[in-house]
Amino acid sequence: MSKYMVKRVLLAIASIIIVTLITFFVMNLIPGGPFTAEKAPSQAVMDALTKRYNLDKPLGEQYMLYMRNLLHGDWGIDMKNGREIGPDLFSKFAVSAKLGGIAMIIAIVVGVILGSIAALKRNKVPDRIIIFFTTLGTAMPSFILATLLLLIFCVQLAIFPVFSSNPSLVLPVISLAVYPTAYITRLTKTSMLDALSQDYIRTARAKGVSRSKIIFVHALKNGLIPVVTYLGPQIAYIITGSMVVETIFTVPGLGTYFVKAITDRNYSVIMATTIFLAVLMIVANLITDIVYKLIDPRINFE
Amino acid sequence: MKKKLVALALASAMAVGLGACGNAGSIEQNGNAVSGSAASTSTADAAGNTGDKTPSTAKLNSDATTLYINLASEPQHLDPALNNTVDGACLAVNSFVGLYTYDKDDKLTPAIADGDPQISDDGTQWTVKLKQTKWSDGTDLTAKDFVYSWNRAADPNTAADYGYLFDIIAKNDDGTLKVEATDDYTLTITLNNPCAYFDQLLAFPVFDPVPQASVEAADPDGSNPGNWAAEAGFVSNGAYTCTAWNHDASMEYTKNPNFYDADNVTIEKLNFMLSADDTATFAAYNSGDLDFIDNVSTDEVPNVKNFSDFYIADMLGTVYTGFNVNASLFDGMTEQQASDFRKACSLVIDRQYLADTVGQTGQEPAGSYVPSAMSDGNGNTWSQTYYDAATTGADNLEEAVKLLESATGYTFTDNGDGTYTPSTPISIEYLTNSGSTNEKAAQLIQDDLSKLGIEVTIKTEDWKVFIADRQNGNYTMCRGGWVADYDDPSNMLEVFQTNSGNNDMQFGKNPTSAAPQNWADYDKLLEEARTEVDTAKRTDELVQAEKMLMDTNAVIPLYFYNDIYMMKSNVSGVYMTKTGNKYFMYATKTAQ
Repeated sequence: MSKYMVKRVLLAIASIIIVTLITFFVMNLIPGGPFTAEKAPSQAVMDALTKRYNLDKPLGEQYMLYMRNLLHGDWGIDMKNGREIGPDLFSKFAVSAKLGGIAMIIAIVVGVILGSIAALKRNKVPDRIIIFFTTLGTAMPSFILATLLLLIFCVQLAIFPVFSSNPSLVLPVISLAVYPTAYITRLTKTSMLDALSQDYIRTARAKGVSRSKIIFVHALKNGLIPVVTYLGPQIAYIITGSMVVETIFTVPGLGTYFVKAITDRNYSVIMATTIFLAVLMIVANLITDIVYKLIDPRINFE
Repeated sequence: MKKKLVALALASAMAVGLGACGNAGSIEQNGNAVSGSAASTSTADAAGNTGDKTPSTAKLNSDATTLYINLASEPQHLDPALNNTVDGACLAVNSFVGLYTYDKDDKLTPAIADGDPQISDDGTQWTVKLKQTKWSDGTDLTAKDFVYSWNRAADPNTAADYGYLFDIIAKNDDGTLKVEATDDYTLTITLNNPCAYFDQLLAFPVFDPVPQASVEAADPDGSNPGNWAAEAGFVSNGAYTCTAWNHDASMEYTKNPNFYDADNVTIEKLNFMLSADDTATFAAYNSGDLDFIDNVSTDEVPNVKNFSDFYIADMLGTVYTGFNVNASLFDGMTEQQASDFRKACSLVIDRQYLADTVGQTGQEPAGSYVPSAMSDGNGNTWSQTYYDAATTGADNLEEAVKLLESATGYTFTDNGDGTYTPSTPISIEYLTNSGSTNEKAAQLIQDDLSKLGIEVTIKTEDWKVFIADRQNGNYTMCRGGWVADYDDPSNMLEVFQTNSGNNDMQFGKNPTSAAPQNWADYDKLLEEARTEVDTAKRTDELVQAEKMLMDTNAVIPLYFYNDIYMMKSNVSGVYMTKTGNKYFMYATKTAQ
């Protein structure tokens, strides 16, 4: 296990270095730079800015400089507004992580419960209703859902303000939670059904184990393995923000920061956000693998 | 009802989806790069509201002490010297104030200055007396603050986009500006040469004072000049100070009791929603969370344009389509033939239809490159026109075909259905940035030119790629637009000087034999206009320059920009300049 861990961590570091290399050189290949503007800045201004952000140095040197600063905990300076990226990155991540975290907890709790109900009441009315709504939930893109929620609850019913200096989290959380809830419901149902048809369940029944114990201890525990596989990357994905939901509900999250950096060619922010997301993804996958082992001792890492 | 709601949601959701692909639309992106002042302003109440209007269905906001506003998303800089956007300029004019400002009646008026400037007979010595005013922290604001602030903004290391505006001021031997504080409340300025619009510049945000102590404390090594205004709570001298800034979400401006005209400021707070999403801002406006929105999506315009709270104001800017004068399309043609070719294209573009279907908010078809609402620098508005802009289109086909025949040497066959076919196929690539408005305009131009048998292919690029390609001349025909920073024709015409960074049509840059050969004359005309003291003569030089530009037919004006916004019926007194600066400090709001 420890040998496996060391291998995984080394691989993770290698992946992150490759991600930084690709991002850095590809972003410099795209036409246009951070200071390209319809009203072109004067040569004096361009010179001052390229010098200030080290863009006058060769690419290789720029990369090394960036990585050295990063290792010292310096995420760089935003080329568009001169702000330090580190504090901005983490305050935006805090917002996204809070929304995404709540959404994910809702998705897991509701998804597993609904999925189990659907499996146990297979082909009966509750199952049909649940499957209808989960199909809808997986099929509806978040920009439609978020816009609908905004128009219904903020404009028509006026339950929440569209804009306030102390915004409510309810609608963005719902917008984020619907898709993973629906997905987890379907996953749980399928794997529960699979688990319930296994021999060991029949054996347990024959031995007279109580119905609740069969469901919760034997079936659900095994039924959750596919859900865990899904959870790792999905959590990393959801806590790093969704540009669509953030834009519609004016949430200062990471998703918009990331996308806007690319359209702005804001090189330092592109690097910082990409590295941050890559680390989160890799860590989430690592944790997933370890949780597998805890749930299912049969899984062997060696 | 339900069906309508879903349709609305789908429509707006699609707009969001497009937005996510980097589509900011032409007007926003043009607007994004400008700021400025203008000699003339229009009051909100008077702007473009004629005819029968129906009351809006949007809910009113009853908080009479606070104005809730959306201009755009997170501003890049609140430092007035570093700002380079229109929305940033709106924030600047409400939180900082320079020597002069604009009043609601269309006039430059003294702000920190005490009365009009004294100008020497040769026009180069300006002496301005200052009022005794204070910064928001209570310290005195003196002439020395202006000397410091202007030198700072002009310093290349500050990298202020509008720092070049200080080039008009003469320099001392040590490189500093010839601006002196002769005493605490007197400022003398020496110009290199007389400047017809220097009074306008004195009201431009880059000429606003900034507090030296805070600027230097926040940026000891000079590597981050805007740092002092990176969070709420910084010192300013305008009507409001920024008291809360929740980045990418909201901002709160609170009345500054030390503002020189604080007695006339009635609204205690300005609360800004920082969002560029038209769906969200429009929803916030309708739900009563906002009093003022500066943008309405083009999809929504037909639904709201008859409402009494929908306003259209003049804006000094021109939408055009441009030709790269060095493009290989013109190889083998003479300068005149190339110009005739472009003229043929210009003649058949239906400008009125384009303005009606793409612009949608009553934009005026453009018969000149300098906007018709712009001052001519000699007491009148710009009166040149080069063709009847309202009637260009299919009616001119015959004339256009004749021009094309002489330009190309091909013969054109009349197909009898209002279209022509050239003996040799002609194709042109039209370059635009993505965005539904831009793409729709491209399709209309494509359709108009197809009647001449010219096959236009549309190439759509991401904003930054588009800008880079256009500036480098990697195109044949492209979308273009320019919004003026100040109300003077030179600001429009200097764009196309040979060495201008924005000379995207490539005039005078290694001209091919088909490109205009005498572009140095254009440069010279504008240089002369720059130093001309006689205003009538100066206007004449500007007219000649525009005529030269229009004779090339490489810049084909389509329509003039205008500025739309929505403001609730319980708000009044908001006014704006024709370059888009909005003044909220003298607004009044009733509790319904």
